[in-house]
Amino acid sequence: MGVGRETFWENCRKAKNGIRKITSFDTSALGSNIAGLVEGFNPGRFMLPKIYRRMGRISRMAVAASIEAMEDSGIKLDTIDKGKIGVIVGTAYGSSSHVEDFYLSLLNDGPRGAQPFLFPETVPNAPASHIAMFHGITGPNTTFCQNDISAEVAILYARNLLLQNIVDVVLVGGADELSVIQYACFDTLGALNKVKIKKDEIVKPLPGGGLVLGEGAGVLIMEKRDFALERGASIYGTFKSGVNTGGVTSIGHYEVTGEQTARAMSLAIEQAAIDLHEIDRGIDLVDVSANFSDELDRMEYNQLKKIFPKRIKDLRVTPLKYLMGNFGGAGIIRAAAILLSLHRQLSLPVVKAEILKGESYDDMEWETPCTDKIQTALMSTSTFGGGSSSLIFTKN
Amino acid sequence: MNTNSSKRVAITGLGIITAIGESVSEFSQGLFDGRCGIGPVSLFDTTGFPCQLAAQVKNKNLEARIDIREFKRASRCDLLGLIAAQEAFSCSGLNLDQCSRDNIGVILGGGAGGMRSWENFRRTLWSGKTRPRPSQLLPFASCTLTDFIASHYRLTGSRCTICTACSSSSTSIGYGFDLIQSGVHDIVVTGGSEALSELTFAGFNALRVMDPIYCRPFDKNRRGLSLGEGAAIFILEDYKRAQDRGATIYAEMLGYAINADAFHMTTPDPDATGMSNVMANALERAGISTKQVDYINAHGTATKINDYAETRAIKRVFGRKKARELAISSTKSMIGHCLGSAGAIEAAVTILALNRQILPPTIHLDEPDPDCNLDYVPNHSRTQDIRIALSNSFAFGGNNTSLVFGRANRDI
Repeated sequence: MGVGRETFWENCRKAKNGIRKITSFDTSALGSNIAGLVEGFNPGRFMLPKIYRRMGRISRMAVAASIEAMEDSGIKLDTIDKGKIGVIVGTAYGSSSHVEDFYLSLLNDGPRGAQPFLFPETVPNAPASHIAMFHGITGPNTTFCQNDISAEVAILYARNLLLQNIVDVVLVGGADELSVIQYACFDTLGALNKVKIKKDEIVKPLPGGGLVLGEGAGVLIMEKRDFALERGASIYGTFKSGVNTGGVTSIGHYEVTGEQTARAMSLAIEQAAIDLHEIDRGIDLVDVSANFSDELDRMEYNQLKKIFPKRIKDLRVTPLKYLMGNFGGAGIIRAAAILLSLHRQLSLPVVKAEILKGESYDDMEWETPCTDKIQTALMSTSTFGGGSSSLIFTKN
Repeated sequence: MNTNSSKRVAITGLGIITAIGESVSEFSQGLFDGRCGIGPVSLFDTTGFPCQLAAQVKNKNLEARIDIREFKRASRCDLLGLIAAQEAFSCSGLNLDQCSRDNIGVILGGGAGGMRSWENFRRTLWSGKTRPRPSQLLPFASCTLTDFIASHYRLTGSRCTICTACSSSSTSIGYGFDLIQSGVHDIVVTGGSEALSELTFAGFNALRVMDPIYCRPFDKNRRGLSLGEGAAIFILEDYKRAQDRGATIYAEMLGYAINADAFHMTTPDPDATGMSNVMANALERAGISTKQVDYINAHGTATKINDYAETRAIKRVFGRKKARELAISSTKSMIGHCLGSAGAIEAAVTILALNRQILPPTIHLDEPDPDCNLDYVPNHSRTQDIRIALSNSFAFGGNNTSLVFGRANRDI
C-alpha cells in the first residue's frame, strides 16, 4: 500500500488494493499467485549499501521504517540516554528467505559449502538487532513471534517497559517478508486463497477462501506521555489499553468459538474505562484482523455481534488485511493507520461488518465516511494457534 | 499493567529434559556429578562437518512420554517442551480445575522451533524422489509449543513467544515475572525448548565457532561451543498464593533486565558494555547489591570472545575483589548450548543450585585461561551457602538478558 507514511496514508484513504500478482518469484507450480507485495522499496533511499548489504529484505524494510519513524518523532538521539530506549519487534517468521537460502546452500554444496554470511540473518531477532545497531540504541531489545499477533504482543511488552519506567521511549515494530518458501509452505498446507490471475488483472480473492499473504514493516515510537509532552512532541494518539488472551484450538486453526477474542475485546474496552452499555457511542473506529480465512472472518463477525449488539447491522469495520495481505507484523501497520486517522480526524476506509460473513467480493464496497469525531479506536486481532489481542487507541 | 508492584514471584514447578537427564532428579544428578552429555549426533548425518558432536537427548522414544494422539503434528522441539511442561505441572501440585485458567499465561522462548520437521520436508522435496508430507510444515512456527501447551492445559491467559536466539527463553521468564509482579496473572508457564537441527548445526559450523571435541568454557585451549538440545519449563506463581496453598517453592525470582549491544550480529562487544549493564540493571531492579550475590550461571559459550568479555563484565560490575569471591560456572560444558532453551535450562540450573545449595561445575576446565581468572568451579561441584544467584544469556544480535533468583524463604 505504499512506501513511506504519506503514500501509505493516501492509499489507505483511497482503499487502494495492495494485493496483486506475484512477480518476485515463480508461482507457476502453485495454486495461488497473489499477495500484498511491497513494490518500489529502495533501501538506498534510507541507508548506505554497506549498511544494508548483508541484511535480509525484512531487516531492510524494518530499519527503513525505523528511520522514517525516528525522523518523524523529532527525537534527537544524541541528547538522550540510548540505554533508556527500547526496540521491540513482532514478526511471524523473520527472514524465511535466509532460512531457505542457507539450507539450500547446505543441500547443494554440502557441509563445507554452507554460506556463513547467510546464517546470522536466519534468526527472527535480526530486524530488531539491525534497528538497534543502526541507531546505536542499547536499551531493552526483544522480538515476539506469535503468528498474526506478533506485533500486537510487541506493543503490549513495550507498554510493560514504559509503565515500569525501564525506558522513556520504545521503537515498536512489526515486520515480515514474503518469500517463496513461506508462500509455497502455506500453499502446500492448502491455507491460501486459491486465486490465480494474469498480470494487471483485477484481484478478487474469494471471501472465506483462505489467506492472502502480505509483507511489510512499520515502526511506531511509543513514549511516556510526560516525556513526549516535555520535549514538545506531536502526539498521534494514546495507547489506552490492551489485552492478550489465548483461545483453545488445534494447530493451524483459529479459535472456533471466539470466546477469547471476545474476552480480549471486552477487557480492553473495560480497561479503557468505556462503558460496555455505551459502546455504540464509545468506539468510533473498529479495525479487525479479517484476512479472507473462513474460520477467522466469520468468528470475528460473530464476536462483534456480541460486543456491538445494537449496531451490528450498520456496523462498519476496517479490515486492512483485505488490502495489504496477512502477516505477523501487520498489527503495527494497522495501528499506524489508526493513529493517523485519530491524529488527522479522517476516517479509515470501512466495509459493512456483514461482509466478514463471507459475502461475495463484488458486494464489498469500501467507503470513506465523513465524520466529525474520531476519538476512540478498537483494534482486534486473532491468530491461528489461538492467540488474540485487543488494543484501544484514543486521540488524546 | 503495574497494579501492584510489591508482588513477589515464586518458582513452584520445574520440568526439564536434556542430554544429561530427562527429569529434574536425573538432571540434578548429572549436573552435580559433572556429567558430560556431549557426544555423537544420531538425528542427522554430520559427515563432513568440522565439528560432529552435540549434546543430544538420548531417549529414542520421546513420543512414549506423552499422549502422542493429541500431538500428532508435534515436532521434536514440541515433544521436548511438552515433556518438560508435564513434569513442571506435576511437581507444582497445581490443581488446574481449581484455578482460573484465564489467569494463567503461557510465555515461552523459542529458537529454531520445528525446524527439524521443516528440514525433513525440504530435503525430501529437494531430493525429488518422493512427495513430502505437508503436515511436516505445521510445527515450523516458533510459537507452536506455546500454543500446544496452552491448548492442552486449556490456559487462556496471555500468550506469546519471544525469539531472540540464545536469550529467548530467559527473556520469556523475565516477561512472565513482569506479568505476575504487576498483577496481570497469578500464574505463568514459561521457559523454552530447542531441538537440534541441521540448519543450526551447519550454521555454527560455517561460522567456525564450534569446538571439534567438546566445549571447554574459560579454558585456555577452548575453541568454541558445542550445540545441545532440551527443554526447561517453569511454573511461576504469585509468592503469597504459593505459600497459601502450601506449594513447594524452589526459589524466588527477584528481577531481570534485557538490553542490546548494538554492536554486531554475531560477535559480542569485546568491551562488554552491554553484558555489564544488563547484570547491573538486573541487580538494581531486583533491589540486590553486588555484595549479596554468591553465584553466577555464566553464558559461557566457550568461544574466545564470549568468555573473555563475560569475565570482563563480571569484574566491572562486581569489582575485582568481589568478582574473585564469586562462584561462576558454565554448565554448557555438560549440556551444550541449547540456543532457544539455553536461558531456561540455565535458569533451572541456577534454581537447583539455590535449592540444593550446591554449585554446579564447569567441566573440561583443565588449563585456565589467564585472561579468565575467576572461580569457575572447575570440574567438580561444591556445597556452598548460596543466597542470591544470577543467570546470564547473551544472544546473536547482541540481545542480553540477566535473571536474578534468590533462595526460597530467605529473609528479605
